[in-house]
Amino acid sequence: MDFDMGDGVAGLRTRLRELIRTEVPEDYLGAFTDDPADLEAAQRFCRLLAEQGLLCMAWPEEWGGRGASPWEQTAVREEMWAHHEPRGAQYMGVNWVGPTIMRHGTPEQQRQHLPAIARGEVIWCQGFSEPNAGSDLASLQTAARRDGDGWRVSGQKIWTSYATMAQWCFLLCRTSSEAKKQRGLSIFLVPMTAPGIEVRPIRAMMGPHHLNEVFLDDVWVTEADALGPIGEGWTVVQEVLSFERVGIARYARCERLLQWAPVALGDQWEALPEELRGSWARMLVRARRARLLAYRVVDMQNRGRVHPGDAAAYRIAVTRLDQESAEVLMEIVGGADTSGEDASRFRRAVEDHWRYSVSATVASGSIEMQRILMSRSLLAAR
Amino acid sequence: MILELCEEAQDFGRSALGAIEAAGGDRLVQAAEADPAQRQAAIEPVLAGLGAWQLEPRRNLEEMEAAAALCRSAGHWALPYPVAARLCRPAAGDFDGLLVVSDVEPAAPVAGLGLRWAAAGLDGQGYAATARPAPAAPRRSAFVTRLDLQPAARVDTADLALALTLPCWTLLGMLDRAMALTCAYVLERQQFGQPLASFQGVQFQLTDAEVERVGVEELAKYALWSIESGRPDAVDDALALRAAAVEAAEIVFRVAHQLHGAIGFCDETTISWMSRYSAPLRRLPLGLTATRTELTRRLGRQGLAGLFSSPSSTSQ
Ligand SMILES: Cc1cc2nc3c(=O)[nH]c(=O)nc-3n(C[C@H](O)[C@H](O)[C@H](O)COP(=O)(O)OP(=O)(O)OC[C@H]3O[C@@H](n4cnc5c(N)ncnc54)[C@H](O)[C@@H]3O)c2cc1C
Repeated sequence: MDFDMGDGVAGLRTRLRELIRTEVPEDYLGAFTDDPADLEAAQRFCRLLAEQGLLCMAWPEEWGGRGASPWEQTAVREEMWAHHEPRGAQYMGVNWVGPTIMRHGTPEQQRQHLPAIARGEVIWCQGFSEPNAGSDLASLQTAARRDGDGWRVSGQKIWTSYATMAQWCFLLCRTSSEAKKQRGLSIFLVPMTAPGIEVRPIRAMMGPHHLNEVFLDDVWVTEADALGPIGEGWTVVQEVLSFERVGIARYARCERLLQWAPVALGDQWEALPEELRGSWARMLVRARRARLLAYRVVDMQNRGRVHPGDAAAYRIAVTRLDQESAEVLMEIVGGADTSGEDASRFRRAVEDHWRYSVSATVASGSIEMQRILMSRSLLAAR
Repeated sequence: MILELCEEAQDFGRSALGAIEAAGGDRLVQAAEADPAQRQAAIEPVLAGLGAWQLEPRRNLEEMEAAAALCRSAGHWALPYPVAARLCRPAAGDFDGLLVVSDVEPAAPVAGLGLRWAAAGLDGQGYAATARPAPAAPRRSAFVTRLDLQPAARVDTADLALALTLPCWTLLGMLDRAMALTCAYVLERQQFGQPLASFQGVQFQLTDAEVERVGVEELAKYALWSIESGRPDAVDDALALRAAAVEAAEIVFRVAHQLHGAIGFCDETTISWMSRYSAPLRRLPLGLTATRTELTRRLGRQGLAGLFSSPSSTSQ
């Protein structure tokens, strides 16, 4: 066994941390605040990463990447999420929109979209969920009606992250109403400026510019906008979800904040109740556990034998960790004087982590869906 | 990154599973409980036949991993024998095994074996330990007995870490088995005209327990690697593993019992034996709270080695 990612990955980490230290504002807590400077910081950072060949490292050379190893990709995910995702919304383009277009896009779609993502210039949003289709995504109703050589799409999406700032939408809708609801779904790549699209922000705990409603009223799309064969959208969605399996390294932020706690609190650390420091130690163990479970999934993916149950176990562990660590960290800041500079930055980071963590077990599919997946493979293996 | 035990170790683990099964499997613990005096004669030849006493976990990586795999297989059958402690025997001195002990009421599940034990406190203090006669029949004591300690030379970090880690591999084997037994049971047992496995309330209990089990597996491999690679914080890593393993055991056995219903308490089910004989591994040398307290004390403000454990790496 060897749990060392090697010098190459360590070097990459150092480089990323240095870039974050010098290029991301010290108080940055994500791109979706009321302060437009935060979004601008994220956009600038993406362009910089792109210039330095770090944004799409994992992509093949043909599309401007350099086929980075899975462990380098892991380190990028960890460093970015740990530091409040300075790529803002663009991580989605890099992680799954681009790779999905590489697999299913036409040469024209690839030429149109991939270089723009690789340059760090474009924000995508994911138009899947609807008011009546959450966990049961396949029951979605947004419909594309045939009209001449194209379709007119009408309906409503909800919880669409980053829709106000996005230029493109990865839109899932129904192109025919077959008996089995998973059939007859298709994906269209739609510009957010298309006539008939209206976005309404939903103010929420995660920040004022995160969640949105997207209304579609006779939005015109053609064959050229369809990603993959018409009617095969569900298969593509499954692939998107598999890219998202290890998409966000939540444990890395937990680990960073937990390790920061004694540093930020200084002399006050030892004055915390012993039981609370015990919970802190427990969370450090849980963070390590989630990290190792993530590595296990990455390792299995490398060897081409990841089972949905294994990925689900990791997702359950990491989303729980997110919430439990947030509670412990809130207790820690609650029990200390955080008026000093480092301590107050720490407190703001913890509060942000807490607000985000509440949604960890719902976003990208609820923890119950993960448990269902996991129990299926657990019981089927017998 | 290599995240699995080496092939040889995995093969060895599988052979051990088969050899213990051939020697009686689940019946071994039952026989040992009925007649404690014969357990040594029943079990030691099986282990000798596997070459267990030739294993020197501290010699090289493969042997340490093989030792871990053997402990896990022993756990699978709740083998009533301190395999892990014996595999940890220190190189120096004339001992048959190494036990980690707490400084209050030092005890271990080694009653009636007549072996020569070295012991180590969590502070690294070494001892020569003598097991007292068993205080009660194994049905109540699970072979746990008090140890009399004579101070001896300090035990090195890696030995201490190994002596904390290998018993967790045995416990992991018990968790593997408890999950396997419970999954099989809920698929078979019918109520309301359907297998228990079809109820979501049952499924979700299983998944929560399974997340605990796989988490222990990964932490157990990490703790082993930490020793293998001579890391200075190997004892912290072992305690982190132990804290997680004992917490996991609580959850896994609670779920296993719950989903077995009343039958799970009866001697006719394997789970009842697993559950009872997991107790010494969970309680000794320190239970959950005491393990966590010790870990917290050792971590101080340094934290646990990881992505952000160097002091300059956290604030940005
Ligand atoms: C921060 C955030 C960002 C998001 N971003 C996007 C995005 O960009 N694009 C997008 O399309 N969607 C997005 N979503 C939506 C997300 O995918 C859905 O919230 C999720 O799939 C759950 O759907 P729902 O909220 O409608 O909950 P429901 O499906 O209504 O479920 C509510 C709760 O009921 C329980 N439940 C549901 N079904 C079952 C069942 N079968 N068994 C047991 N329990 C069950 C679960 O606890 C679940 O959390 C986002 C959500 C959040 C919170």
